[in-house]
Amino acid sequence: MDLGLVVYALNLAAIYALMAIGISILWSSVGMINMAHGATFAVAGYTAWLVTGALKPMIAATFGKTALASAVMAGALVGSALLAGAVCGIIIYALAFLPIHDKPNYPVRALIITLALNIGTVQALLYFFGPRNQGLPKIFGFGRWEIWGAKIRYDQAGTIIGAALIMSLTLAWLRYSRRGLEVRAMMQNAEGAAYSGISRQVTALPVLMLTGALAGMAAALLSQTIFVSPTAGVVPLVKGLTIALLGGLGSVPGAMIGALLIGFLEAIVGVVPFLGQRYVMSATFGFIILVLIIRPRGIGGLLDDTRE
Amino acid sequence: MSERTFYKVGRRAWELKGHPDGTVERRRERVPFTRRHWLKWRDKHNPKTLQRERVLVDKKPLWWTICLVLLAIITPFLPNSMISVASIFCIYAAINVLWTLIVGTAGIFSLATLAVVGVAGYAAAAANVYLGVPWPFMLVIGPLVGLIAGAILAAPSTRLDGLYYALLTMGVAEICRVFVVQLRALTTTNGAITQVDSFIPEAWFLQRPGLLLGFAGAFCLLLGALLVWRLVNSERLGLLLRAAKGSREDESFCEAIGIDFRRARLLVFVISSAALGVVGAFYAMYYRSISPSIFSLDQLLLLFAMMVIGGLGRAEGAVLGAAIVTLIDKGMIELGPLRIIIVAAIMLVVTIFAREGLTGAREQFRDFRKRKAGERRALRTEKGGEAMPEEAVDVLDKQELYYRRFNKRLRERLKKMINPELIAEHKADPLGHHSDALARVLNYFRRAELADKYVIMRLKEGEERYRIMAISGVRGMPPRVVDDKEYDALNDAYHAVFLLRVNDLLES
Repeated sequence: MDLGLVVYALNLAAIYALMAIGISILWSSVGMINMAHGATFAVAGYTAWLVTGALKPMIAATFGKTALASAVMAGALVGSALLAGAVCGIIIYALAFLPIHDKPNYPVRALIITLALNIGTVQALLYFFGPRNQGLPKIFGFGRWEIWGAKIRYDQAGTIIGAALIMSLTLAWLRYSRRGLEVRAMMQNAEGAAYSGISRQVTALPVLMLTGALAGMAAALLSQTIFVSPTAGVVPLVKGLTIALLGGLGSVPGAMIGALLIGFLEAIVGVVPFLGQRYVMSATFGFIILVLIIRPRGIGGLLDDTRE
Repeated sequence: MSERTFYKVGRRAWELKGHPDGTVERRRERVPFTRRHWLKWRDKHNPKTLQRERVLVDKKPLWWTICLVLLAIITPFLPNSMISVASIFCIYAAINVLWTLIVGTAGIFSLATLAVVGVAGYAAAAANVYLGVPWPFMLVIGPLVGLIAGAILAAPSTRLDGLYYALLTMGVAEICRVFVVQLRALTTTNGAITQVDSFIPEAWFLQRPGLLLGFAGAFCLLLGALLVWRLVNSERLGLLLRAAKGSREDESFCEAIGIDFRRARLLVFVISSAALGVVGAFYAMYYRSISPSIFSLDQLLLLFAMMVIGGLGRAEGAVLGAAIVTLIDKGMIELGPLRIIIVAAIMLVVTIFAREGLTGAREQFRDFRKRKAGERRALRTEKGGEAMPEEAVDVLDKQELYYRRFNKRLRERLKKMINPELIAEHKADPLGHHSDALARVLNYFRRAELADKYVIMRLKEGEERYRIMAISGVRGMPPRVVDDKEYDALNDAYHAVFLLRVNDLLES
């Protein structure tokens, strides 16, 4: 296996981990399977496209063709994607959490509402923007490094570094902040957290905004490699969901390991001559089915056996 | 005397009632070869008039019959495009009813329903096109393949949790799609099998007689699916599974009393998979082709939306949802992508407001009305120690209820008697001959229950120092000290106890 393949696998794993961790945290703290994660992804991508499109002449006029211009552009792209993701999180909070979180059948109903949001958003994007792919400005620029004979594209490296950065920021927030402590308490035992005076309603909002922002980050990073389209969210959603389940829903380290495994699996299957890119999805699902049959609670079940 | 308001309490719900002649013997026809009756008539007596009344307890069969007969009568008069919409509705409704059997009755959250339909359809179509099997045998091959697919899919369902299993089945659907698309033999048609023989003659295909024949077939398919639903859900298997439905405890209970609910679940899954196989074969025949789009996620989500809008786990919900969504999706094609947005919006609104879809809305509304009525009753019923009508049902000793009511009224009267003069009278002479009002109040105090009754304690033998305590009322529990005031005269202590009791009375 050469280095290029490893980088490609890490690139995939970074995007998948961003999606899967969001789904996983959301499930274990708020008790909601967020099917609208894909919609958040697509909306963030489109918002970034619109914002950068609107700001392009202004930035070009102010900074010219300097390094500062591309830095400002990158900031605008990532910032708008993050913001759009967080706003989507607020919308999901208002529609799928707030009205029904104390009503019977909440988990299934939340799943259905987010699913409806996902379908509706994808179709609405299709309605307004059409099925055409839209290219975002390349914030990492074009080009590649040559390291030990392997070619590493800038966008791949940027994606890996950006994802690692935002994930460590998220984990640090969870680990060291007061709000993060509350979220972790809810993840461990929702009832116990409620008894200690942690409000589910209040804590759910930052969690949804955070996971939305994670999806927005994933959109901003993936848009460096592929284009933005209304259905762009479907594949990341399915991948994120499967990896979150593979990792054992609710386990952040499990989701990370799952993302790495699937990233490498896809990279390897893609280059094996008799399999090729067409069988990537089947191979992934086959692998996950196999893991689930052997370990019904996913990888997270291996990490901590005591948690129900 | 002021006007009194009478509230309607415990009204009987209005319904159509027969008044049978009491002298005539009852005749009840049974469904041939079974012990079931056609309709659930019950004889009751009107509690007021003692008249005999015949009530139809379960009116669902009537609604089913009316709707299905209307569908069968109206469709032949519709334009061609609407006939095909009706046929598609019948096919989707059949799939949904069988899926409901898996999700609702068996409680297995499977997303491989369309995959089973597709696999069976592909197998039947392939047998017809490549092996030359005549079309009636497709209806045999379909369920056989469905049976095998169901058996394979059902195997891990007992081991995996709901969501994990849902994911697994979604993966199976995706694998099926990729497999079919990659097949060498089908690359020219993009993975579709075309030129399938059908019960609709080739010359009639997409003509009016062909469409009508297709609708007749689809309608029979829907009837068959409903029959399967009835036979599985409402007979022994469904009964066994309903016992194990609610929670983990229910499952443990079932195991303890010897119900093998896992086997029952698998059986239901396999049976409905075989039935889905029939739908698959029919699907291939109806369209004269079958394409990989049947495995796609969009199609699956559309069917899921149908079930959710109608109400997850109910046959009538599955059919109603199929009617609504098919009408929007296939009947208003000119709207373009807007129609999926409409479906999603309906899904959103229904799920936010309805507990169990549209078909559960009536029940939910009744619950809501009952709760509101209870709240209103609670508002206008003064409690004050008296038993509320709701709790009165639970008190076995009815004497207790009347005792409480008497006590409450007594307290109301005594409260009016207490005034400064009365207290001054007691202060002047706690033990003397009292006025009528004070005597009544004191008599009430003396009758009080032992728990929390006030007593006076002399602090030291021979000394005139007193304190007030309250008896615990429980044997072995010492009395508690009420406050730390000391009284130098016995009469002061008497009066202090009196004031405490008056205070308690006025607070009650």
